[in-house]
Amino acid sequence: MVRALEALDVGSVADKINLIPQDFFAELCEQIIQHLNHKIPGINTAELCQRIQTSGVEINVGDLAKIATIISFLFSTAARNNLSTEELVTTLGNAVSALPKHAVQVIRHVWNEQGESISVSEDARNMATVGQFVDIKWKLGVAMSSDTCRSLKYPYVTVTLKVADPSGQITDRSFEMTIPQFKNFFRQFKEMAAVLETV
Amino acid sequence: MAAPEQPPPEGSKPLSGLLGGIAQAAYYGNADITEELLRGQLYPETAPEEFHALRAKMGGLLQSIASADMDLNQLDAFLTAQTKKQGGITSDQAAVIAKFWKNHRMKIHESLINQSRWDNFLKNMNWRVDLKSQSRHIDQINTPVAIVEMELGKKGQESEFLCLEFDEAKVSQMLKKLSEIEESMTLLTQTT
Repeated sequence: MVRALEALDVGSVADKINLIPQDFFAELCEQIIQHLNHKIPGINTAELCQRIQTSGVEINVGDLAKIATIISFLFSTAARNNLSTEELVTTLGNAVSALPKHAVQVIRHVWNEQGESISVSEDARNMATVGQFVDIKWKLGVAMSSDTCRSLKYPYVTVTLKVADPSGQITDRSFEMTIPQFKNFFRQFKEMAAVLETV
Repeated sequence: MAAPEQPPPEGSKPLSGLLGGIAQAAYYGNADITEELLRGQLYPETAPEEFHALRAKMGGLLQSIASADMDLNQLDAFLTAQTKKQGGITSDQAAVIAKFWKNHRMKIHESLINQSRWDNFLKNMNWRVDLKSQSRHIDQINTPVAIVEMELGKKGQESEFLCLEFDEAKVSQMLKKLSEIEESMTLLTQTT
């Protein structure tokens, strides 16, 4: 595991982790372990990053996502190897000397509280090829005019899907549908429901 | 300079063809339909400058009609006014234009709508139902899930494929929201 951590270059993110205030880092680790425990569908990296930035810390979503991926790997590998809290902390210390003390404390605490309940099967990785649907937001609009047509008057639906990608990061995906497309979309989901019921 | 030629024969076929050619270029994205091509095919006896004027006039009329997405009443009033104008159109020409618009209105309007769709839209959607035979959690085995693949993209750009998993609860959640949309849509079409 030490080798794996070294390969992941945890050291490079150590100084980024150092920037994050302890309570935000704790929140991140909480979300990660809850995601691994299937309590939540994904990790809200973008939202968390925005709050960290508002508190005055300069960190971008990419960096936070990288940190999340590494911590997630850390926890899932530790689960697979059935590491105790002390073993985890020791291994971490051997691999990453530059990890800030408050971060180690958070990792120790979170693992201690919830690490035992993670059950990781060998095939876990293969499962995650599709994203998870989390939520949907919508709005209905009418395009009135355009530069090529004064009288467009065409209604359309804009939909934003909140999805958790295989790594657990939550992102938004938006797209438009015309009325006929929407009706087809709706019909397909009704069919899906019917099939799911009968299976 | 020679005396101006007689106006070209106004049989409905050439004018109808001309309108079709104009629509091809302006609305259906067919760049191969050039003015020269149209003149040669439809008005071979007409001089180029005269044909150019005819094409411009007809193109302008069609643009006005399409831009306003005229219904039959509006069209009738518009074309009648055009027949009364100096340098306007004949009533035969008006009849040809009216027939053309009745036949092509929907398709041209759709094309104009598509010209202003610049955002991501749903190009296609496929789905299947799987039985989860392996899972991280024992209680998830043998639960059916729907795997949905959505093709998203912008006009003329490469598509992105979004692949999502829905269990029964998530499908219900989706259906609930989709019902809300449908309700709003019904209200919208009732009030417009």
